[in-house]
Amino acid sequence: MSSTATNGRGGKSINWSALTLYIGAVAIIIVFTVLCRYFGRNFLTITNIQNIITQSSIIAVIAIGASLVILTGGIDLCVGSMVGFVGIFAGLLIKGGTPVWAACIASIAAGALAGLVNGALVSYGKVPAFIATLGTMQILRGLALLINLGKPISRFPAELGKIMNAKVVGSMPVSVIYVFAFYFIMIVVMSYTHFGRHIYAFGGNSNAAKLSGVRIKRIEMSAYVLSGIFAAFGGIMLLSRLSYADPNAGSGYEMNAIAATVIGGISLSGGRGKIGNTLVGALILGSLTCGLQILNVPTYYQTILTGLVIIGAVYVDKSRERKAE
Amino acid sequence: MTPSHSCRATAREDHRPHCVPTDSYILEMRDIDKSFYGVQVLDKARLRVRPGEAHVLLGENGAGKSTLIKILSGAYRREGGDIFIDGKPFCVETPKETLEAGISVIYQEFNLVPYLPIYENIFLGKEFGGAMFINKKRAIRESMEYMEMIGLNVPPETLIADLSVAQKQLVEIAKAISNDVKVLVLDEPTAAITDKETRMLFAKINDLKSRGIGIVYISHRMQELFEIGDRCTVMRDGRFVDEVCLDAVTEGDLTRMMVGREVKLVKSQRLKRANPQPILEVRGLCCRNQLHDINLILEKGEILGISGLVGAGRSELARCIIGDFKRDSGTVKYNGEELVGGIHNSIAKGVVYLSEDRKDAGLVLVHSVADNIALPNLRRFGKVLLRKRSMVETCREYIKNLRIRPADHRVEAKNLSGGNQQKVVIAKWLCSKASVYIFDEPTRGIDVGARDEIYGIMERLVAEGASIIMISSDMVELMKMCDRIAVMREGRIATVLDNDDELTQETLLSHALGSQLVS
Repeated sequence: MSSTATNGRGGKSINWSALTLYIGAVAIIIVFTVLCRYFGRNFLTITNIQNIITQSSIIAVIAIGASLVILTGGIDLCVGSMVGFVGIFAGLLIKGGTPVWAACIASIAAGALAGLVNGALVSYGKVPAFIATLGTMQILRGLALLINLGKPISRFPAELGKIMNAKVVGSMPVSVIYVFAFYFIMIVVMSYTHFGRHIYAFGGNSNAAKLSGVRIKRIEMSAYVLSGIFAAFGGIMLLSRLSYADPNAGSGYEMNAIAATVIGGISLSGGRGKIGNTLVGALILGSLTCGLQILNVPTYYQTILTGLVIIGAVYVDKSRERKAE
Repeated sequence: MTPSHSCRATAREDHRPHCVPTDSYILEMRDIDKSFYGVQVLDKARLRVRPGEAHVLLGENGAGKSTLIKILSGAYRREGGDIFIDGKPFCVETPKETLEAGISVIYQEFNLVPYLPIYENIFLGKEFGGAMFINKKRAIRESMEYMEMIGLNVPPETLIADLSVAQKQLVEIAKAISNDVKVLVLDEPTAAITDKETRMLFAKINDLKSRGIGIVYISHRMQELFEIGDRCTVMRDGRFVDEVCLDAVTEGDLTRMMVGREVKLVKSQRLKRANPQPILEVRGLCCRNQLHDINLILEKGEILGISGLVGAGRSELARCIIGDFKRDSGTVKYNGEELVGGIHNSIAKGVVYLSEDRKDAGLVLVHSVADNIALPNLRRFGKVLLRKRSMVETCREYIKNLRIRPADHRVEAKNLSGGNQQKVVIAKWLCSKASVYIFDEPTRGIDVGARDEIYGIMERLVAEGASIIMISSDMVELMKMCDRIAVMREGRIATVLDNDDELTQETLLSHALGSQLVS
């Protein structure tokens, strides 16, 4: 990995964009550590770090899909509704006597199917990604409400909770393992497989990709399918963590996933950026929430601060481009 | 140089005596200079238009006609020279000023807002009414007058999007008349309209002439020029060649003027192939309205040139061959086997296309040189997981062999010069070990040194047994490189010529234009 030949950003030996991101992440940690110390609390404890990762894990997983779609130059707005839909869908199946594992597989299949519809609309139907996924976002939310008539589902078998909360090493929950495993796999896929390189090429210049023999429609569509799968998995993670299915769950998750992606430095115009940095983006958002909670800052301020971080991250990232011009 | 500077130059020049009094011209452009990135595209170009005449502006692709017109319209700034309108010096600053001075340019792509009605388009930017509300009734009433004048018989409320090409053209003319036009420039006005509509357009042009409006008419269709034009200015390589009365010249004269002096050209010295075998056979190929019944054979180890004007269907043919455009009928056979299944199949078989537009269709500009070279060749570097080291080594090899500068595989493609970008595109396909290369304008926008290197690469390719189709607007380059040259005109193969010593640029151009050469 020493060579930067294939990271999609190419360029000089120093990757300024990634550097800015890491400096930003470290700065946030330092600021919180100092502030917490000042108010007599501890920020950098093992428990806190685990909390941050656990709390960010769902957004981090969903953001993998968001990053893939954004790398193609598209956008996927329906992942939040997918989380809500999958909760009710899997919940009904489990309540109906389906084994937990089978309900999970069925949910992921449903996510893949919804992604396929999105992808087909965008790549073959030429419907703008924003519109197509805005539509499926509404449809999925509607279905989530419809199939259980708007009622939440609770009291699940303990087996369901194990998906998320089972402890593997010490007190580390298995959800943390999912996050790192998924990101490891996707970093390899994006950098070392035909599929990954084709996604980058398509997002960077679809015409050139087409003339280079990339089957662009398939590639574009598969990004949405994967996004659907990761969103469905996110839905199962949430269901397992709460042992409670709410048809309105996951609303706004699509925006958090997009935020993690852009903070991580993936360009909304597609073709540039590294998927691994999306994890950093998600963790920045997570530590922000966690740190502010420790400091007892009301949630209203948290939301405002999150907004500022999103704008600030992209503003700083673009400032080099502005100077170059 | 700023326009204000040019204006001072004008004032100085005005003291000089002129051989022709400027007041007899409604428009005079004198010694116009313009360069792009250090390349001189206009070198003392001239254009003089009298009131009430149709003045033809003639020249090959790239002779500088469009640049000259864009300077007139205010889209580009001139670097030297003067413009006079009605004998008065005129400094164009913005396209709006040009319009106000009475100059209207009608480009091939119209400047109309598609989802607004005709009357709003005619008065766009100069609406009637007060500060808040637009006087719609007056706009409709007045636009009807103009529309009647030019014989456009549709309700003024019709949306532009619902009009035919010829009708849109009339709206543009109506808009020009409403601007009190003195000089009307028509850029290839008949390229997309039928013969009947052309007749009607010519009647309108004659009508405008009788009102004392000067017409600048750009077209490649020779017969048409003689029918509508009074005088003609010929341009070549950004320079003024001659101004002639069309009554006094023949098509052959004009063609010779456009081609100009005999260019010294060293034909490439390749051994004549002993027994030609066809490697690529195109039979009866049709595609939408762009290609009609194309028959063409590419022989193994040859360079087949494709000449023709822009819009003759050359790139469309290439895209049809590789399977980018869907063929309506006809077949393409490679080594006797039909080539079907889209671009990736053609690439797998070894038939590749190097687009004329490197930035838009050749390279992923935001990716590194190595990524670009590797893109069509990922299979070479591993079935499932890619071997990055071998990828980088292979790319370095091509960077070295083709002398790509900077010699760094990590540089983003957008930071390379045009010549080096072209070499990266070539490296992509060399790496894929293709056997048929379709080069589309391989040397466009490339400096002389890199150009020779690219010729060298092409020579080496055919020497090693590959075959090349070379599409180019540069006839000299085709005559230098090719074994045979096919000339396309309006979506058809006009002729296929052997590139022997008797072949001249005049012959090529007259086939491309469809004119009879008077020899």
